[in-house]
Amino acid sequence: MITIEIHTNQFVLHPSGGIYWKEKQTWLLADVHLGKVAHFRKNGIAVPRKAAGSFYQKMEVLLPLFPVQRILFLGDLFHSFQNNEWYLFEAWVKQQRFKMILITGNHDVIPNWKFEALGLQVESALEEALFHFTHFPDQQTPKFVFCGHVHPGVTLSGVGKQRLKLPCFFQSPNQLILPAFGAFTGLHILKPKTEDHIYVLTGKEVLEIKEKLF
Amino acid sequence: MTTVRQWFKTKGWTPQAFQKECWKAYGEGKNGMLHAPTGSGKTFALWGGILQEALKTKKNPVGIQALWITPLRALAVEIQQATQRMTSELHPDLNIVLRTGDTSQSERAKQKRKPSFGLVTTPESLHVLLSAKDHSKSFQHLKVIVVDEWHELLGSKRGVQVELALAYLRTIIPDLKVWGISATLGNKELAREILLGPTANYTVIEAKIQKKIKVHSLLPKTMERFPWRGHLGTHLLPQVLKIVQKNKSTLIFTNTRAQCEIWFHRLLEAAPELAGSIAMHHGSIDKKIRLWVEDSLRNESLKVVVCTSSLDLGVDFSPVENCIQIGSPKGVGRFIQRAGRSGHQPKAGSTIYFLPTHAMELIESVALQNGIKTQQIEDRIPYLNCYDVLIQFLMTLAVGSGFDPKKIFPIVKATFCFQTLDQERWQWILNFLIRGSQSLQHYDEYKKLIPTEHGLFKVANKGIALRHRLSMGTIVSGNDLKIRYRKGGYLGSIEEWFIAKLKPGDTFAFSGKTLELIRIQKMEVIVKKSKAKQAKIPAWMGGRMSFSAHLSDLLKKALFEDQHKTTREFQSLLPVFEQQKKESIVPKPDELLIERFETKEGFHTVFYPFEGHAIHEAMASLMAYRISLLNPISFSMSFNDYGFELLSDQAFSPDDFLDNMLFTQDRLFEDLAKSINISEMARRRFRDIAVISGLVFQGYPNKPIKSKHLQSGSQLFFEVFKEYEPDNLLYQQAVEETFDHGMERGRMQLVFEELEQKTIVWKNCSQPTPFSFPLITDRIRSKLSSETVEDRIKKMYLQLEKAAP
Repeated sequence: MITIEIHTNQFVLHPSGGIYWKEKQTWLLADVHLGKVAHFRKNGIAVPRKAAGSFYQKMEVLLPLFPVQRILFLGDLFHSFQNNEWYLFEAWVKQQRFKMILITGNHDVIPNWKFEALGLQVESALEEALFHFTHFPDQQTPKFVFCGHVHPGVTLSGVGKQRLKLPCFFQSPNQLILPAFGAFTGLHILKPKTEDHIYVLTGKEVLEIKEKLF
Repeated sequence: MTTVRQWFKTKGWTPQAFQKECWKAYGEGKNGMLHAPTGSGKTFALWGGILQEALKTKKNPVGIQALWITPLRALAVEIQQATQRMTSELHPDLNIVLRTGDTSQSERAKQKRKPSFGLVTTPESLHVLLSAKDHSKSFQHLKVIVVDEWHELLGSKRGVQVELALAYLRTIIPDLKVWGISATLGNKELAREILLGPTANYTVIEAKIQKKIKVHSLLPKTMERFPWRGHLGTHLLPQVLKIVQKNKSTLIFTNTRAQCEIWFHRLLEAAPELAGSIAMHHGSIDKKIRLWVEDSLRNESLKVVVCTSSLDLGVDFSPVENCIQIGSPKGVGRFIQRAGRSGHQPKAGSTIYFLPTHAMELIESVALQNGIKTQQIEDRIPYLNCYDVLIQFLMTLAVGSGFDPKKIFPIVKATFCFQTLDQERWQWILNFLIRGSQSLQHYDEYKKLIPTEHGLFKVANKGIALRHRLSMGTIVSGNDLKIRYRKGGYLGSIEEWFIAKLKPGDTFAFSGKTLELIRIQKMEVIVKKSKAKQAKIPAWMGGRMSFSAHLSDLLKKALFEDQHKTTREFQSLLPVFEQQKKESIVPKPDELLIERFETKEGFHTVFYPFEGHAIHEAMASLMAYRISLLNPISFSMSFNDYGFELLSDQAFSPDDFLDNMLFTQDRLFEDLAKSINISEMARRRFRDIAVISGLVFQGYPNKPIKSKHLQSGSQLFFEVFKEYEPDNLLYQQAVEETFDHGMERGRMQLVFEELEQKTIVWKNCSQPTPFSFPLITDRIRSKLSSETVEDRIKKMYLQLEKAAP
């Protein structure tokens, strides 16, 4: 885990792809794509079912780490139309004590009232303190933006023609793009500019990629 | 005298011995295999027999009676025209029609209403016909299936498609005759057995047409300027131009589509007067343009055509005087076939010019000439246990009439490909189709096939049926986008990953034109002509071919035995050999040379077993794996037909390497399997498997948005199978295919036995040697690492690839 500071607030970058906002005791999670595996299977494409369970397993690891008041889903919580995955999610939500907010993304086609009936607050975007939370990247707002949508990844290369593609937290001067939290989601490779900060997920750790000094 | 013979006589032709044999055998009701080169009159040899039989019956034949399967659409057109010409003159009531992916909907409907006597089609289209509900009715009168260019289909998954279709049709039509036509190949017996099945009622006919093939290596004037690598060979352009200008017509064969585009441009640049009489032909160019090129070749209005393997097969172009092969043809069989494109009139000799793209290929030229002299032709290795093709075939039946698993199992098992399929794996496949894996779980909504009351398995809903129909066919095209002018007119197709790298306004070369990208819309690339001088050349993915075992034997022989002969080739290689000897050695037959040198890229360790690309790929990852067990280390590997290179950021010690006997045969296949998993060679294989088995759906035509929630790359599937379902048969197939086709399992053991007899010569060099050059400059590489990702990052071995500021 790496803690970074933005506008005097502390944010913990977790190897799972989630961010914990210390001051507000809030988890930020982007692009969970719940029900994606079920959606494929319903349409005759046999993705292994076990790949679907990873959200709940990941949450079991995350939740005990810090006190939690809120979870903020930064869009694409569900991959497609409603399927049986919904009932699993419903059961999980009912067990939790904290508040949940969904910022809708392009994949969120399940009607808002269904989420609201479960007790989730649904927004198209959210402003809080000096921060702006949205699904899509947005370089226009003066506030610092947290967003998802992109499933960012970077290519690392080195001596001996080594190459490696890894998911990452992609921080530019006024915006931070979270990696996709869901399994079976894929990567979109970005090329950072000099002013960007890149924190890759290795599976076990979060590592900042620094420039070579020589 | 038979009608067919009389017809030959009126044409002023004398039937050849093999044609007469075919007619006779066909009349006797035999199945058979005809080995004949293209352009020898093989079509009439078989069609004559079929027609003769039809002429014997008083009544007009009803329904489809003869099915002719060819591997290429272009070839199908050719066959349809030839057979129709012959038929019209002998039996004017009979029609032969075409059914390929290019056949229009209205034409298909017409064929269904009024079936014709003969149908010329491809393996894919035959499967489309089997997906019709009433296919058993449409084929009830079928008498014979001819499979053309069987050698070409045999070593591919389309061969498996043919096997399945034949096994299935034989059960509907018990006395169905099957004939194959094939060029000569190493494993003739096996090829016949796979196609004709277990029948004893067969004959094998050999067309004894020995064409003289003259091979001529093109050599640069001064050897010092000979590049050690440079996969274009354009430094020899002046000589190529001379040949082109001297002859009425020339075919230039390249190995890749990109090379084809480049050569076309360079030729036109160097000789602008060729405009109008030069053309290009490769698989991504629009069908209309390709057909035009083929026609123009036939009526002699083109002087030169630059092409890829798209012009390897069939299609008779008698006027071609010369062929030029650019770079290694990778096999004696293919080289003979390409040479055969020139001097097509029976008995006329063929001339082929071989243009080496780097120094080592000159040795190959000698090897090829020896191979032709001794007629050493390669085997085609058939596929085994293609679960992906089987799953596709079962789906094809399920979208139509449905299938009864009990009846289908023995049919599948009767094929060569699935001869070892047992009940357990068969049940696995059925479960995969019905339940999406092995155990039915609560909450699961998996839907693909459902069993009906009558014991038939049918497709669960229309959406699944539609997606299957749209993605049938074994040949995998990646995500191809069509290229179109703004004002209309298609030029061909291009892979998405290439176009994704371009911005509007960028220019690229395609189909011999310089095009400017305007925009991408609805799976189409909209372009306009550009006058820009600089243009990017598109690259197409696609497997790289490996040397055949024969060719690598021939190559070793040429290198070891002919080296001191005063042939033109070895004469011009002298300076290269001298440079090689300065830094290192030219290995003797009983030596295995290993070179080590350092460049700014890292430490290069280069091995030269001379066993062909496929064996080297496997050996490279095996060596990398075994070395990585000694110490944590990361490798990037490259391989070609001569050797392989391990590149690393740290130098592993020669002593460690030599002391630990890393070439041992102990645990050979176990270690190979592990190295395949780690280096992920299987990942590339899985790409095709995922598409063929219907896991990756490429989208509805013109409806890219709607299918988006169902799109996912094969890579992602590979990862989830690897992690969550490693016993999945499709995942395992990828590993098996890597063994059998990627690295020729059968040969591997032999190669290691020979290696153990050899003396290892380790040379530390101060700079790259001529032998190593093609390897170290190769950009297509595999990776293997025993270091953790965290370590590699912390040690600063890896850094970000940044955007240009």
